[in-house]
Amino acid sequence: MVTKQMFSAINKVMQKYPDKESALLPALTIVQKGNNNSLTNDDIKEISSFFGISMSKVYGVATHYTMYNINKKVGKYHLQVDTNIPGTLMGAREILKHLEEILGIKVGQTTNDGLFTLSSVECLASCGTCPVIQVNDVYYENMTNEKVDKLIESLRKGVMPEQNIEYFYGTECNALFKNRGLKNSTSLEVYKKNGGYKALAKARTLTPSDILKEVKDSNIRGRGGAGFPTGIKWGFLPKNNKKPVYLICNADEGEPGTFKDRQIMEYDPHLLIEGMTIAALAIGAKNLFIYIRGEFGWIADILENAIKEAKDDGLLQDINIIVHRGAGAYVCGEETALIESIEGKRGQPRMKPPFPAVEGLYRCPTIVNNVETLASLPYIIENGAEVFKKFGFEGNYGFKLFGVSGGVNKPGVYECPMGISFNKLIEMAGGVKGNLKAAIVGGLSTAILKPDELKDLDMDYDSCAEHGTALGSGGVMVITDEFSIPELALRTIEFYAHESCGQCVPCKEGTYVIVQSLKKLLAGHGKQKDIDNILFVVNNVSGLTLCPVGDAYSIPIKSMINKFRDEFEALIK
Amino acid sequence: MKITLNGKIIEAKQGQTIFQAARDNGIYIPTLCYHEKTGPAGKCRACVVEVEGMRGLQTSCSVLAKDGMVVTSNSENVLDAQRLVVDLLLSTGRHNCLSCEKNGNCDLQKAAYYLGIEVGSFQYADMKPDIDDSSEFIQIDRSKCISCGRCIAACNNVVVNNVLNFGYRGHETQIVFDTNLPMGGSSCVQCGECSQLCPVGAIIDKRAVGKGREWEFDKVETICPYCGVGCNLELNVDRKTNSIVKIRGVEDAPTNEGMLCVKGRYGFDFVGSDERLTTPLIKDADGEFREASWEEATDLIVEKLSFIRDTYGPDTIMGLTSAKATNEENYTFQKLIRTALKTNNVDHCARL
Repeated sequence: MVTKQMFSAINKVMQKYPDKESALLPALTIVQKGNNNSLTNDDIKEISSFFGISMSKVYGVATHYTMYNINKKVGKYHLQVDTNIPGTLMGAREILKHLEEILGIKVGQTTNDGLFTLSSVECLASCGTCPVIQVNDVYYENMTNEKVDKLIESLRKGVMPEQNIEYFYGTECNALFKNRGLKNSTSLEVYKKNGGYKALAKARTLTPSDILKEVKDSNIRGRGGAGFPTGIKWGFLPKNNKKPVYLICNADEGEPGTFKDRQIMEYDPHLLIEGMTIAALAIGAKNLFIYIRGEFGWIADILENAIKEAKDDGLLQDINIIVHRGAGAYVCGEETALIESIEGKRGQPRMKPPFPAVEGLYRCPTIVNNVETLASLPYIIENGAEVFKKFGFEGNYGFKLFGVSGGVNKPGVYECPMGISFNKLIEMAGGVKGNLKAAIVGGLSTAILKPDELKDLDMDYDSCAEHGTALGSGGVMVITDEFSIPELALRTIEFYAHESCGQCVPCKEGTYVIVQSLKKLLAGHGKQKDIDNILFVVNNVSGLTLCPVGDAYSIPIKSMINKFRDEFEALIK
Repeated sequence: MKITLNGKIIEAKQGQTIFQAARDNGIYIPTLCYHEKTGPAGKCRACVVEVEGMRGLQTSCSVLAKDGMVVTSNSENVLDAQRLVVDLLLSTGRHNCLSCEKNGNCDLQKAAYYLGIEVGSFQYADMKPDIDDSSEFIQIDRSKCISCGRCIAACNNVVVNNVLNFGYRGHETQIVFDTNLPMGGSSCVQCGECSQLCPVGAIIDKRAVGKGREWEFDKVETICPYCGVGCNLELNVDRKTNSIVKIRGVEDAPTNEGMLCVKGRYGFDFVGSDERLTTPLIKDADGEFREASWEEATDLIVEKLSFIRDTYGPDTIMGLTSAKATNEENYTFQKLIRTALKTNNVDHCARL
């Protein structure tokens, strides 16, 4: 049921956006929250008539995002265990099994008293603190069976325990992590006391082209995964443009193995806000968006508070920053899918060209940059490109956050100069816990490497490329010899099958048939033909899809089979 | 301008895509999600080609032809990519041409034939029909749907009925009516544009089921008799039974561009109905109708109407004509009423 209060809340959200349809995702969230965490067909009908759009449009949007429960009752507490690769490597499956035992239900079921629904979900960007259970909107990290027992006991009493966040982290550069560990690091007062907003003050004395030049000179490459030079991307904006220009911060951190951006937003939100404001001055944007994954609800709150503080302090002047929450879709990390999502649509990548710099949000010129990229700008502007370039080396300049998860003693996020050796990074993360079998170093969408390939690997674009992989988002997952590669391959492809937007045949059906083939092999019914089938798919998918997800799923699977072929062939009986 | 396609120089018009230029020159490139009316969607990836100077494979439905462009659609690399697409579709849907209504007019069948694929190589699960039979004139079988999106683009962008959309995602993606209601219970008005544009046998005209395959019908173009718009119809006539089996809109007709309404597309029962009047009927003094010739009937009408006009005055008569008549017929009718019967009491059912 959509109450009057809900309609007025939706109306209020609508006012924030240049186009009211952008409020569709927030509207669905508002109505779901007010209706025991689920949505009915009648709710969808009411929302569609309120927005003046078709029912099928709203239904299509609502079923695209995993956080909406359509015509599905969920328990008072929805327990969602992240079983993606980092979770699997760090004991999430055991936690899930334990939950099944103590609750007496299977995954996907709800307890008879309607208190608990148990789900296995995809990466929650909590890789360093796995196993993680998301209970409704709250993350409970570093879970053990004992902690699970306590959590359930408390929930049975109707009490959501306090979130207890403990991360390992470290820095060799003191740039993005300079405020990490300070008390009240999210507050404007602490941020300013530690030198914050000086770069913005300096930027206000510069012309947009001065800022652009400094960013271009720094040679910083986008930190989201693709590594495209930021200054060049900004340079694609059309000249003599009459339309508004939008800046979007991509905070949809969803690449399995990646949990770095949340470190900035959760502990140093003003660093991002300052970076965004500098970027906005350079490109002439007045309306800025932060597209944050929906699961990061409390982090979105932190950002909204920080934006308000900065606005009230007069730091932003005529610049507005809107925090737009996603609702569960990996593909929205792709910039055109992200734009569609802000426009209140299904998160489906667009055909390119036109690229967003020419025609993006609301068909206007748009720049989409990753959190870490934007958060690096205050350093570049304050200290100058040359100082930034003291970190790293040509083509690979700067500092970078690396998330290390899986089989290490101190999984966490570490700030290092580009080009740090893989071994040094693992040392910072407390060393390998067990025997190293392999590692994926750039987020799940990159090729797996064996120990002999890792021994002289440096964490930069060039060295990764020379080793047949990619730096990607810098999400390092360490795999020890306890794990079977075919099983990890199945979990990998299940992720992409779940997250495929369903537009392109090679992605939609390619991921599906690989899941089927691997299940058959792992069940002991497989034949050589099943391995050949998988290879036929992954060998032909590259470049065949609208967005990079086709490559993203084929690269890891191809490398797993090619490098650990014996393990796959051993499954054939 | 000229482009080179598979080593052959062909003519391309300004603004044409590679696919359109190839088609106009008689060169087949498989395509599933593209339709002239709904435009490029870039989703099926079956139409990919190699273009010199462009990285990776390009969808020929979306890339504009440029003078001097060198395109290859028949290299092993391209054919393997196209095979992958078609093979995946054949493997993950229930596609059996032997019993399919679309046999002979199916874009997927055509692509599979061109690429030499007989059956899908990735069949892992038994597939059952997933039929929605709730609509009176249209049948949906989601197990044959290839998620090309043509029906959705047709519903939302062509006829703008806004009933269809994609729901869910990944392999689970399916077409939904309103809030995923059965088609018959949704706000669908059964214009049939989705059926007109479906490239496979997933959306079909229910009344034609089992009545013959594409090549068994004579195609007869005519004008819809229902209203004055003048939509062009293509009747599919079974000469053995001398009956209309189904009707499709004529895509290149300027009046309707293939679009029809529910009456024009599905309301053709009357043509072969036993109850259809084929001669004038005159009611005799005993109150029974008897068949009569046109001459007898018109003589009687003239006699009676003249008598009423002359005895009771012209304004005791009114004429009401039908939207099923053409514009010219309606004009003639009002002329008759005004000049012969001398009254302005004339109207038309479309005003009611």
